[in-house]
Order: sequence, then C-alpha cells, then structure tokens
Amino acid sequence: MKSISQLKRGLIGILIVCLMLLPGCWGKREVEELAPLLGVGFDLGEKTGTFVITFQFARPTKGAASGAEIKDRTFGVETSSVREAIEKISKITYRTPFMGSLKVIIIGEEVAKAGGFNNMLDFAQRYSEFRRSMYLVLAKGKAQDILRLELRSELLPAMATKNIIEGGDEISSFPMVRLGHYLTILGTTSTAPILPVLESVKPGEGLEYKADGNDEAGEIRIQGAGVLRGDRLVDFLTDEETKGYMWLENDVVHRLINTVDLKDEEKENAKFGGQVLTSRTKYKVQNNNGKIELQYQINTSIAIDEVLGLKKPLSGPEWVELGKGAEKSFAKVIEKECESSLKKQRELGLDFLGIGRHIEQKNSAYWKTIKDDWEAEIKDFPISLDVQVTVHHSGMSSGSAVNPTVEGQE
Amino acid sequence: MERISSHQFMTLGAAVLMGTTFFPVASMVTTVGGRDSWMSVLPGLAVGIPYGLMVISLLEQYPGRNLLQISETLFGKWIGKIIGVLYISITGYFGGLLLAQAGDIYETSIMPLTPLGVFYLGGLLLVFYLVNSGIEVFARFSEVIFPLIVIALVLNVGLSIPRMEQGELMPILSEGFKPLFLGGLKVVPFAMEYILFLAGILPFLATDKQVLGQLKTGVWRAVFLVGFLDTMVVLIQILVFGPAETIRLVYGLLVLGKMVEISRTVAGVESLFLGVWLGALVIKVCAFFYTVTWGLDTVFKLKGLKWNLAVGVIFMVIAFRFKRGPSLIMEIGIVDNYLILPFASAWILTLWGASRWKKGTGDS
Repeated sequence: MKSISQLKRGLIGILIVCLMLLPGCWGKREVEELAPLLGVGFDLGEKTGTFVITFQFARPTKGAASGAEIKDRTFGVETSSVREAIEKISKITYRTPFMGSLKVIIIGEEVAKAGGFNNMLDFAQRYSEFRRSMYLVLAKGKAQDILRLELRSELLPAMATKNIIEGGDEISSFPMVRLGHYLTILGTTSTAPILPVLESVKPGEGLEYKADGNDEAGEIRIQGAGVLRGDRLVDFLTDEETKGYMWLENDVVHRLINTVDLKDEEKENAKFGGQVLTSRTKYKVQNNNGKIELQYQINTSIAIDEVLGLKKPLSGPEWVELGKGAEKSFAKVIEKECESSLKKQRELGLDFLGIGRHIEQKNSAYWKTIKDDWEAEIKDFPISLDVQVTVHHSGMSSGSAVNPTVEGQE
Repeated sequence: MERISSHQFMTLGAAVLMGTTFFPVASMVTTVGGRDSWMSVLPGLAVGIPYGLMVISLLEQYPGRNLLQISETLFGKWIGKIIGVLYISITGYFGGLLLAQAGDIYETSIMPLTPLGVFYLGGLLLVFYLVNSGIEVFARFSEVIFPLIVIALVLNVGLSIPRMEQGELMPILSEGFKPLFLGGLKVVPFAMEYILFLAGILPFLATDKQVLGQLKTGVWRAVFLVGFLDTMVVLIQILVFGPAETIRLVYGLLVLGKMVEISRTVAGVESLFLGVWLGALVIKVCAFFYTVTWGLDTVFKLKGLKWNLAVGVIFMVIAFRFKRGPSLIMEIGIVDNYLILPFASAWILTLWGASRWKKGTGDS
C-alpha cells in the first residue's frame, strides 16, 4: 500500500513538472501565425520535369467591416516538387502555410495535356493536413492566369471557383469533382476520369459586362469538362456533351432547361423554358436477342416557367395539351444531350460515362468476358435511352400575355 | 481477489476485442477480399465465439485459475512453464507494438511534430495507472470509455454517408466465396488477441452457474457487437473510397474523419474522434500489459511495482525500436498471423481437448 501511495505521489510530481516545462503540443501554431491556403494551380515549367506551382493564400484583414474579409497573397514558383515549392514560399511569407484550408486545385491545360500531374497531387493525398473533400478543376489556359485575376466580385479566384462549384447543384451543368472522387475513379480500371473546366471570361465572350479598363478578364465560369486517360487530358467536352454526362451519371439535381434550340417540324409550336425539380437516372443491362445492351432510364420532373411563341389564349384542354407537348420537347432535349455525350465517348474510345462499371455491376460474368477489350468494345456497344419527362405545372399562369382578338378590334 | 461483474466482462471484452482494429481492418481485408470484404469481418471474428466458450468451459472446470495454471495442471509443470513463457513473450511483444502504433497513428494524422516518445510515455502512464489500480478499475474505465468509442465510430460512419460513391458495393460475390474466406482469415487474429486476454482474466470472474451463463452470453455479445461495428467501418470505406483506395489508405477511417463536414460549416472533427480513440488504444495496450503481469506472476511468481515498471520499460523499448511506420504495420501483421493466431488457436484447442479427455477419464 505504501509503495502505491508513493507511486501516486511520484506520478503527480512528474505531471506537475511536465505541466511547467512542456510547451503543450509540439508544432502548435496560433491561428494568427497561419497563412491559410485556398487554391493551388499547376502549370508546366520551362525546364523539363518542372511545374509552375501557384499558391493562393488568404490574408485576413485586420479591422475589416466584416470579419470574413480577406485579401490576396498569391505566389508562383517553378519547382519539381510541391514540398520544394512550399520551402521557397516559406522563405517569403512570415506565416506558416496551412494546407487544411485548401479549397481548390486547378490543373493548367498544358500540364494536363502533357500528363503526369498525379505526381503533384500525391502531396495533397498524402500529407495529413489536406482533406480529400477539396475540388479539382481543369483550367482553359494557364492555372496561374486564373489565380491571378482580379475578379469584379472582389472574391479571390480560388474562393470564387469554390463558390461556383458548390452552387453547381442549382444548374447541374458540370460535374463536381473532389480529390477523393478523382482518386476513386482513378482506382477503377475501366472508367476514365473527368474534370470540370474553369475559364476566364472577358467581355464579349458569351457575356457582356463593363471591363475595368485593362485587358484582363473580370469573371470566371465553369463550363464543359475534360476527359482524361489516367492523368493526361485527352479532349474537352462541350457544354452539351457535359450536360449529357450529367444526365447519364445521375448527377442532375436541378437543371435550367429550355427547348429553344430544338429543331421542330412545326414552326408554330411554342418553346419552353423550365427548371428540373427532380431527376433520377437508372440503368439496366439486358439481353436483347442474344446481344447484351445497356439501357438508361431517365425520369425527370420539370416545372415550366417560360413559354415562348404562344400567340393566343388557351382553353382548358389546350392548356393540358401544351403541357404534354412540353414533356415531349424536354425529353427530346435531354435525349439530344445524352446522345452527344455517348457519341463523344464512342469517338474517344474512353469510358468517361462509367458504362463498363455499370455492366460489371449488373452482369459481372459478361463483364469478365469483355473487360480486356473494353476500349475497343466501347465504340459500338449498344446503348439505348428511355427518357420520361413529367411537367408538374406551367407556373403561375395558364397562358402567355397576348392581346386577344376582341370584337371591334379587327 | 478482485472480481468483475458479467457486464464488466462483456464491455471489457468488447473493448479489448475492438481495440484499434477499426483502423487497419478495412485495408487488411480488402487487400485479399476486394469489394466483398466487408462480409468477411463478422464471420472472421465469430471464430472467437467457440474459442471464448471453450475458455469459459475451462473456467467452469477449474474455477479461480487462469489458463496458464490450468496448462500446468493438465500438461505438467515444464510444458506449462514453456507455454507461459510463450504467452508472456508474445503478448508482451505485441503490447509494445501496439504502444508504438499509438505513436504512429497520432504522428501520421494530427500531431506530426510531436516526438513519438511523448505518445508512448503518455499512453503508458495511463496504462500504468490502470494496471496499478487493479482489474476492477480497468473494467470500470472500459465501461465509461467503450460507449464513447462506439459513439465516435457511429458518428464517423454516419457523417460519411454523404461522401458515398455510386455503386461501389456492386457487384456482390462476383468472385465467389474465396475472397470472403481469405478476408475472414485476416480477421481471425483479432479474435485470438481477445482469447489471449480471456486466458488471463479468468481468476477475476465469478464461477456460479448463473454467472457462467452470463459470461457465455457476454462472449458472443462482445463478438457480435465488435463484428458489426468493424463491418460498418469496412463497408463505409468501400462505399466512399472504392476498393482500390481502401487498400491503399493506411488509416482510412482517419481520412474519412477528415472528410466529415456538417452543412459545409463544421469540419476538422477528426481530432475529436482521435481523442476518444486514444481510449481504445489505452485499453488494448493495458490488456496486453495485464496479460504479461499475469503471466509473470503465474510462471515466475514475479509481481509488484518493480516488475510492472520493468514491463513498462520493455514496452517502451519495443515501441522505440519501431519508429518506421511501414515496418511497424508489417510487424504487427506478422505477429498477428504467425504468432498469435497459431499459438492461441492451438493452445486453447489442445487445452480444452485435454480437459475434456481428462474429465472423460475422471482424472482431473
């Protein structure tokens, strides 16, 4: 008993000494001493085997009206490893770079086409401060050019990119790719990774706004996607092809959709604009007369909120028919987008739609017979679409604002 | 002699069985079992049920004695001593490796600059306190900490659901049952670690008929609870990372914890999870510290503070020998597969068989 009480006293003594002498956690850093990293861009360096790595740090401003105001502190370094780049940056910044706040990694077009950027991503998936929930995007042009933009929104480009991606569910026109998702897809043998494309937008490039006087773009947008073989960019998808990918991947949450570009046999027909309320894409692998084929079944609910070209007030039955006509038109648009995506997949011979995985999931025995020649099989593998659209309503009005022909007016 | 209740036996057993198995289990079983490996965890751990029941039946036959004492009775003094030395060596070495794993986990994940010795010393101080306070305090510690460990696991798994990838679980059983068998084999050593702990704790258990029934129930409850939780851990990692990434990630559950976000506002909760899981590490290391002290007492009649200190020093020395994380993980695998599994499975089976035979011949 005596020895136990002596031990307890000894332990308490050791703890008191530890409390007085030890500084707490080793490597402890106060938040004021940190330089939170928001964005990283990778471009090709001039020397072989090097990359220009651009770091965008946040610099919180003291005494700002809103506590969340941050200023830009962006550096670019040409190195062959990310750690080396951070070493060079650390000689300039008086704060310690903090990787846990990284929101977005931007891969420049040149480096993506050259391939090999997975070596640069290795640090992000290995070092413990990073989170796999950060976003990956491809840049049209150089990543550093985008990260150095002064946007009209006064947001840092990395934060603006993150905001655009996180708001993407509202329009579902580009994929949201986190680092974790990219690595998971990379781990599959049959599916080709796909990354959304980020680009700067100058006035007149599909968007009009008052420029600040210099030649630089003041806005950025995400449009289209890039298809990769491993970590090498093979081709870009157009906006329509990317939208088709979104339908087929069951990635559509809400979409803004219209039938304006639909070539219609009857020119008098009305055109519609609407919002996708819900959408669900299923697929089945079926045996059709001895030939295995994949069928996509897309079920979508849409609310019409714009009708164009309606020239007369509608009666009740005509209103009902209008909705049914709209369903067919929307279905055609969806089919067109999906077909363009499927056509691109066949042209590239790369399975960015994950069709191989779908076959493996539904009919693994058949998959084992074709998986070794899958890239050749993609080109003529039979795929069919079944698109069902339900228009829930046509907004707050049964007809468009037209001037009805009344007695005496003629 | 101290006694622990049947409820304490169940929670302590579950806590020891679980230990830190939830960190490596997904990578281990998916390496051999692929996409279906999550189905192999519960059957693999269930091997612990018949072994646990054998141990309880030996307790019923030889009340108040641990399996080392029973071995001496059944096999003779010297064979019993040899078994005892093996028991002390294997559990002592494994306990030291687990202490080293505590350092590896914390250094890799959240405290990269803290010296490894601080983790070893901090963990060992807690273990030492629990060992010197007695088995009853250790059991109560487990009763408090184990539910927190479970809650942290359930939260980590539950909050990772939004990160699930589409269709990663399919196809099911495309490679047949062989991968499940191979995956199960990887998990069996976890059950054997638990059995080695049971082998030493027997003298602290009551042996009346009602309690023996409760102890048997405690064994299968502990196995099923831990089996279910570890299955969930493997399942969520396959669903989020896919099989290829699950294999590649050393501590996949920590990566999951880093990905947890609540309403894009709350993040970085992995440190809270790791704080709770320190308790799991301490319980497991403490369990093996106990097995060594029980072994020393039974085989060499060595007990008391100075021998506990000696065991602590040995644990520290072993831990410091494995500063290289990959070597440590390999070594734990080797000890599990080539020492603990064959030793525990053969010893308990032989002992139980011998006791049945002696009982049959009426010579006990």
